[in-house]
Amino acid sequence: MIHFEDIRVGDSREYGSRTLTAADIIRFGKKFDPQPFHVDERAAADSFYGGLIASGWHTAAIAMRLMVDGMRQEGGAANVGSPGFDDLKWLKPVRPGDTLRVRTRCIDKRDSRSNPALGSCRFQVEVVNQRDEIVMSYVAIGIYLKRQPAA
Amino acid sequence: MSKLYYEDFAVGRIDELGSVTVTAEEIVEFAREFDPQPFHIDEKAAEGTRYGGLIASGWHTCGIAMRLIAEGLLARSAALGAPGVEECRWLVPVRPGDTLSVRGVVLDMWPSRSKPMGFVRRRYEVRNQKGDLVCTLTGPGMFARRPAEAA
Repeated sequence: MIHFEDIRVGDSREYGSRTLTAADIIRFGKKFDPQPFHVDERAAADSFYGGLIASGWHTAAIAMRLMVDGMRQEGGAANVGSPGFDDLKWLKPVRPGDTLRVRTRCIDKRDSRSNPALGSCRFQVEVVNQRDEIVMSYVAIGIYLKRQPAA
Repeated sequence: MSKLYYEDFAVGRIDELGSVTVTAEEIVEFAREFDPQPFHIDEKAAEGTRYGGLIASGWHTCGIAMRLIAEGLLARSAALGAPGVEECRWLVPVRPGDTLSVRGVVLDMWPSRSKPMGFVRRRYEVRNQKGDLVCTLTGPGMFARRPAEAA
């Protein structure tokens, strides 16, 4: 299981893929982002976006699933949570039929100031479509258990 | 009620955007699909963690907030989506039975140089029924400029 000490700045990973259908997009949109361009094909066609697009939160949620599955395949990570994320950008619309992949790169790590058993790492996360266009990027923050708590 | 355009917003404006109660079933359903870490999908496993019980995925909290924002504000606005989120913080765990309320505060706003729209930068504050700030989301939303009235 991956602990804080095992993660190195510069380490990069690519995790799985997922293809979205219009039905998937509408189902998520109705529950979590019921703006017309995420839930109604006709209204979406008349909008700024020219057609149905996935909620940016749906893209983010898919990315999270791909990362969790990928880390599980690597034997799991002693991840105890996240305080949030920074600099999330929705760069290109995600449309029905798009296939999304996720890649991550560790950009820094530091010991927890308050808890000697923990450390945090930041990752540049990019979600890429089938044309290799980056559709979304953000900086993820993960908190990990140390193998050896600091003295 | 007439639609809210970019010009209808002002720095300092506060919108109260409603509230919703989160169930254990919803927490597990979201997490099974998008964030299947043990503390989000399995009550027993979650009890053994530092969280002491099932907690919602931070991404689920964001989806809940987005739903309230869409229904409480965007549905009555000429909303055009958002380019991203500057910062999200998950400050306090969200547990089954919590009632989450969202408030939006306008921090800044500026017109687009090239399109008939403007950016309204807000901090959204998600609180639970105890008044704890559980999540903050800060970033710009895009709104159409009011169309010129026919003479």
